[in-house]
Amino acid sequence: MSDILAAAENVSKKFRQNPDFAERLAIRLGAAPEPPTVHALDGVSLSIARGEVVGLVGESGCGKSTLGRVIGGLMKPTEGRVLHDGKDIALMRGAEARKMRLDTQIIFQDPMSALNPRKRVAQIIGEAPRVHGLVPRAEVAELVQRLLATVGLDPAMAERFSHQFSGGQRQRISIARSLAVNPRFLICDESVAALDVSIQAQVINLFMELRRSFALTLLFISHDLSVVRHISDRVVIMYLGRVVEVSPAGQVFEKPLHPYTAALLEEIPRLDRRGRRFTAIKGEIPSPMNPPPGCHFHPRCPHAFDRCRIERPALVAAGPGQEVACHLNMGKGLAHLPIQQGD
Amino acid sequence: MTLLEVNGLKTWFQTPWGTIKAVDGVSFTVNKGEILGLVGESGSGKSITGFSILGLLDAPGKVVDGTIRFNGEDLRAASAARLRALRGDRIAMIFQDPMMTLNPVLTIGTQMVETVFAHRKASHAEARAMARDALGRVGIPRPEERLDAYPHEFSGGMRQRVAIAIALLHEPDLIIADEPTTALDVTIQSQILSEVQSLVAEMGMGLIWISHDLGVVAGLANRIAVMYAGRLVEEGPVDPVLDTPRHPYTQGLISSTPIANERGRPLRQIRGTAPPPLDRPQGCPFQPRCDYADAACASELTETVVGARRWRCLHPLGVTA
Repeated sequence: MSDILAAAENVSKKFRQNPDFAERLAIRLGAAPEPPTVHALDGVSLSIARGEVVGLVGESGCGKSTLGRVIGGLMKPTEGRVLHDGKDIALMRGAEARKMRLDTQIIFQDPMSALNPRKRVAQIIGEAPRVHGLVPRAEVAELVQRLLATVGLDPAMAERFSHQFSGGQRQRISIARSLAVNPRFLICDESVAALDVSIQAQVINLFMELRRSFALTLLFISHDLSVVRHISDRVVIMYLGRVVEVSPAGQVFEKPLHPYTAALLEEIPRLDRRGRRFTAIKGEIPSPMNPPPGCHFHPRCPHAFDRCRIERPALVAAGPGQEVACHLNMGKGLAHLPIQQGD
Repeated sequence: MTLLEVNGLKTWFQTPWGTIKAVDGVSFTVNKGEILGLVGESGSGKSITGFSILGLLDAPGKVVDGTIRFNGEDLRAASAARLRALRGDRIAMIFQDPMMTLNPVLTIGTQMVETVFAHRKASHAEARAMARDALGRVGIPRPEERLDAYPHEFSGGMRQRVAIAIALLHEPDLIIADEPTTALDVTIQSQILSEVQSLVAEMGMGLIWISHDLGVVAGLANRIAVMYAGRLVEEGPVDPVLDTPRHPYTQGLISSTPIANERGRPLRQIRGTAPPPLDRPQGCPFQPRCDYADAACASELTETVVGARRWRCLHPLGVTA
């Protein structure tokens, strides 16, 4: 394996409501319960190799965005370490910390809330490289023109405001802005989720092209397994704050190991599944404030047995490049079960 | 049997900058027990089509031309009182955001009982029993208890079920569902789709499922209607439309989905973006993005009808002239 650009080591993130003075007093006196804690991330480890595209998939509330923000350095983990180039980012100071932050750029789902509506595109894209002294002031305008062309926008539009663009174009602007500081690592948090199908295809193609031409490393966060499978080298599936499966992207569709992955695959609406009887996995996604004990998925799992209700399954190797956190088949998940096909 | 017949529907918005032709000559029918998938990207006019049928347009939106017949009755000529009597009783709508249907300060039970009283004479106990049954039908556990809960006590998927239960209260003949599962997770979406599917089969109602997701419509619908820039560009039974699309736009939508492409290869994409609503090209609205367009495409489009399928294109795919 090539060297690791970014890694999370046993990272946990807990969110807790901050009680005000009256509540603190009430808690102290035993008149109110302790505020609930949300375990957004629960002992997650993930390493991303240089030049790799890792897809991070899960449903809402599974902690995928939190993991992206923790790896990107926007949030501090409650426990565990985040490494960039082998160094703990919590210990970085000064120039080193600035370099790490420029190296790592995040592209969010909604470009409208990520772009300042009162600034022109040229200012939005040109600000960071100018402030950080990456290009001489006189060359900023030229850089903006070049970046706009790179992301497929007309450089003549540099003096417009973001509201004058369509959703797909705005997402291109936020991509251009993140490219302006020469990052090595892009974290794309649902970056194509809000786009129409035809525009989504264009932006996915742009990401794949940029990855090649700028030798970028990508953490691609999405709820859409088919998009992630298309763009990624490796897919990481999360459920309720934990990683349940890691597989090479080519194998996820053919050989899911975790019952949750299999269920997700079964439920993806697909063009080639016509007039089907929808049969959903039972139950709701449990609240991360009060997750079930043992394997978080056991209340919804068709294969659950006693051990799943008590013991948390560890993430273990289950095949070449594959890892799964499941008690089935001596920890190999669905590997040796006959694959069930939907109707 | 034809339940809804929309013919040449035009819904325009007069603005100081010009006329936005949100829906510009759309025709389709929905039969009893049939699911029509209305597909299109944002701004294509699919939601406005739904609102037009129900008479829910906000000013300056106005139906300027065309007919809407529901069970033989002309809805465009219907009075406001008549429309109010139909809405929620014979025709129901489900919105993308269930909080558009639900009042956050009333319990689910109160809201459902109100809905019953709006169209029926019944005792409070009878109305509550109807509400309970409707909740049970959409798969909400312990419906009797849940009647006393407020909307915020439900998860997003459960709220959408409540909204569907309210739509089903009076066993309507037609339901118009506007992207009701778009905001939901895949597993929850599947649960709702399976409930909807069995309800339609059981109760024999007509359903218009408005969505941008071809995959959902492929699994759920009997027929697909594809909209682009206010026009219906192609319509027909699900299998032939998806297997051998005639309109280049339908073809483009299908082939730009990741599933239709080899992994890691560039996706086949439709170039450009949809035209702005105030500046649509003459003739076929898709021509600036179309690989097959020529000078003839700027003339007014005629519809070609072959068997159960129809399309609006001068250069249909897979048809030799």
